[in-house]
Amino acid sequence: MNTETKPTVEMEEITINTDVLVIGGGPTGVKAAAEITDNGYKVTLIEKTDAIAAGEKSIEALSGTCLVDTRGIPGDFTVRLEKKGEIIEQKVGAIVVATDAYYEPLNEDYGLTLADNVLAQSEIEAALDSDAAAFGKKTVAFVTGFYHESNPMALERILSSALVLQGQGCTVYVYVNNIKVAADGLDLLYKEVRDNGGTYFKLETPPEITRDGATLTVTSEDPVLRRPLEISPDLIVVEEAILPDDLNEGLAEILRIHTGPQGLLQKNNVHRFPVSSNREGIFVIGSARQTCGLSAALTDAENVALEVENLLGDGKRTVAVDQAVVDRGKCVICLTCYRCCPHGAIYWDNRAIISPVACQGCGICASECPMDAIQLGDFKDENMQKAVKESIVAKDDEPNIVAFCCQNSAFEAAEMAAEFKMPLPAGLRMIKVPCAGKIDIDFIMNAFVEGADGVMVMACHAGNCKSDQGNTYAEWRVADARRMMAETGFETERLRFVTLASNMGSEFSSIVVEMEKTLQKLGPSPLK
Amino acid sequence: MVIGGGIAGLTAAWEMARKNIAVDIVEKAGFLGGHAIQYSCKATDECQQCGACSVEAMLKNVVNEPLITVHLGFQVEKVSKNGQFEVFLKAGDIDNPNNENCTGAYETAPMDCAAARGYSRHNAKFYDKKGRLDPEKTGKAEKLAVDAIILASGFQPFAAEKKPTYNYGIFDNVITGMDLERCKRAYGELFRPSDKRVPEKVAFIQCVGSRDERLGNLWCSQACCPYALRSAEALKYKYPDMDITVFYMDIQNTGKDYSEFYEKCLGNLNFVRTIPVDMYKTEDDKIQTRFMDDEGNPAEGIFDLVVLSIGITPGADNKELTEILGIELDKDGFFQAADMLSPTMSAKEGIFIAGTAQGPKTIDVSMAHAGQAAREAIRFVREAK
Repeated sequence: MNTETKPTVEMEEITINTDVLVIGGGPTGVKAAAEITDNGYKVTLIEKTDAIAAGEKSIEALSGTCLVDTRGIPGDFTVRLEKKGEIIEQKVGAIVVATDAYYEPLNEDYGLTLADNVLAQSEIEAALDSDAAAFGKKTVAFVTGFYHESNPMALERILSSALVLQGQGCTVYVYVNNIKVAADGLDLLYKEVRDNGGTYFKLETPPEITRDGATLTVTSEDPVLRRPLEISPDLIVVEEAILPDDLNEGLAEILRIHTGPQGLLQKNNVHRFPVSSNREGIFVIGSARQTCGLSAALTDAENVALEVENLLGDGKRTVAVDQAVVDRGKCVICLTCYRCCPHGAIYWDNRAIISPVACQGCGICASECPMDAIQLGDFKDENMQKAVKESIVAKDDEPNIVAFCCQNSAFEAAEMAAEFKMPLPAGLRMIKVPCAGKIDIDFIMNAFVEGADGVMVMACHAGNCKSDQGNTYAEWRVADARRMMAETGFETERLRFVTLASNMGSEFSSIVVEMEKTLQKLGPSPLK
Repeated sequence: MVIGGGIAGLTAAWEMARKNIAVDIVEKAGFLGGHAIQYSCKATDECQQCGACSVEAMLKNVVNEPLITVHLGFQVEKVSKNGQFEVFLKAGDIDNPNNENCTGAYETAPMDCAAARGYSRHNAKFYDKKGRLDPEKTGKAEKLAVDAIILASGFQPFAAEKKPTYNYGIFDNVITGMDLERCKRAYGELFRPSDKRVPEKVAFIQCVGSRDERLGNLWCSQACCPYALRSAEALKYKYPDMDITVFYMDIQNTGKDYSEFYEKCLGNLNFVRTIPVDMYKTEDDKIQTRFMDDEGNPAEGIFDLVVLSIGITPGADNKELTEILGIELDKDGFFQAADMLSPTMSAKEGIFIAGTAQGPKTIDVSMAHAGQAAREAIRFVREAK
């Protein structure tokens, strides 16, 4: 019952550059560089500061160096590096962003200035390292998680310091909102500090902290006794936020990759996890993409070695000749495609050119091109229109629904519904598309012209599109189509936009059955 | 060889196959995908990044990959090392989640049998028309010779019966997070087991089986706050009038933009910082519980449905597997990794650990961990050659 366009198989082999640029000379970047070198690729490691963590000799390590410009496509990037005013140009096949995070004390949140008796977490760590005994028998209060949601890495640092202090006979208080124990071994550490006599005040609102010369007072409501509780510690330790490198924003611009929440790189999208970016050949790892500890960052470094090898292989790539092709005669270099391509796969000389290595075949460019100059190998306009024609069922008693389904989500859900024999309308015909972004308004209108009673555009949920915005384009086009339908007096209920995930077979079934009911009420299409 | 066909095992197998390494997956159950394949999509008007669909996608990769041989319904009986690892398999205890045996019924009532296929159509291909595992497609070899072993045997969900005051298994309308997932996966809806109606008032109880000194489970399961909050948000979106309360000790971070997500939850859900202990059934088939509210006053909650956010506990076969493989468990009963910086290395050369076998993890973290294990195993195999 599905109309699929036939895949084409004409392939060609191309040669790609297999050198790799790693940005960030902290432990994550060095580990990634070592792993990638181990796979037989030549790596250049750059670090903005003068300090690069010790690594293997075979890696070309440039300290005091920044990336200033990138051009080209995966397998053939040209990067310009600046080392103390000097510009170095290099060709690389892939780029790994491994910038580190830094700590920022949150004392201002608590109305505190750092002093001898108000230390940031990093300061107490350093002090404990050099002379723990100096803290002997002091009363120490930690504050964390009131103005910013904390995280397990921050808690682990606090508890580790608390344990050392307890070893020096200190009394430890921890003022905390949600205790972030979601990491291996942390719940145990939390209990160890408690069993050593540490006290946790779990509060929903921040404690009040006052400082009068050398005297500190922390006031909070005792959650058990429900009365104000005053403590005068010798020392307050303020938590630190873990923030992504300031370089990230600039790098995102230079590399044309997306930023996510809190200045991290990589959008919050499951298809990008763990280490991919929106652009093929550019990877983001460790603290560049998530708030994480060293263990998780090193896990990323090993994952990126896998991904780099998947991309670069032995320097030869086989690509489909006609995956996405620009018609030289039709292209007017308006650069619509360049702007809408979520994968940064398009560049130009005297016309737009689509890199077969970078292209993910979503077809957003083909649908957005105002000159119809772009055709997608497996999903050419003529094939799509043919598929629309073949989806028309001339039967009066059953509504004919033409459903354009994204192959990543709705089409999978439809197959699940079919496999488990969930109810599906007899007049339902699915047309598989590479991404909802490839559903032209022409296809929708044509389906009605050909006699469909109803048309459905079925995309991924917002934030789950492999091509980021394919579903948004589809939603816009449906809105446009509905406006046109309303103007001509055609029932807009005949066109629906829905979002689904691949595992929503039962939802697919109920949505199309509901559509069938709607169409039964409306009766056959007036265009039939 | 990969032991276990859950999300970690699938990811590790797929990554190795991409590097032209032939892989055998040995899975004791009758389907691939483990627990995670049974999880439902938790999108509201937008994706909440739970990763359930990633499992579906990874399963599709694996079942279509010729370099991967799947042995369903088998488990490892003995492993001996003689250059390569020699692995002997035995029939697995096929524990399908709902204890259904749907042999023969699949052609007529396939949805009732979907549970036995992990609710995924990609598992259907392992079955013959009668609904039995097809030995032609699921591997018959009773002995394998392999260069490396990835142990991805997963976890078992905490058995809620071990907290008897919740009356799980006795009261119909006390269900677990796993039950909720299966209900949503199969029917696309959440309803009360007792009357098949959509509940109006729902409670989620966090930390059931986790961070529990009395049980000796001194770990945070790391996945329950994310799944409970995302499920609650998805329910609230689908049923805007649903009144949802989350009972908790400490809310753990969910996803990459956890602050924003948590803010949203605070607006949509009621949070009560206490864990209720006793559950009673009212005459009209609701669940009643008592607790101290935020002001310290005794309060009473009556709910149509109570969802126990059960945690991740060590796999049932872990002890047996330590004997077969000659590796160690940690103090919590998960497999011991060499150290925090090499969390996929076991103490034995050529054996690597992936996913929740090593400790509690969410789907995305399991996949990254499995990628790391695959990377180590690939290095080992290449160096051995």
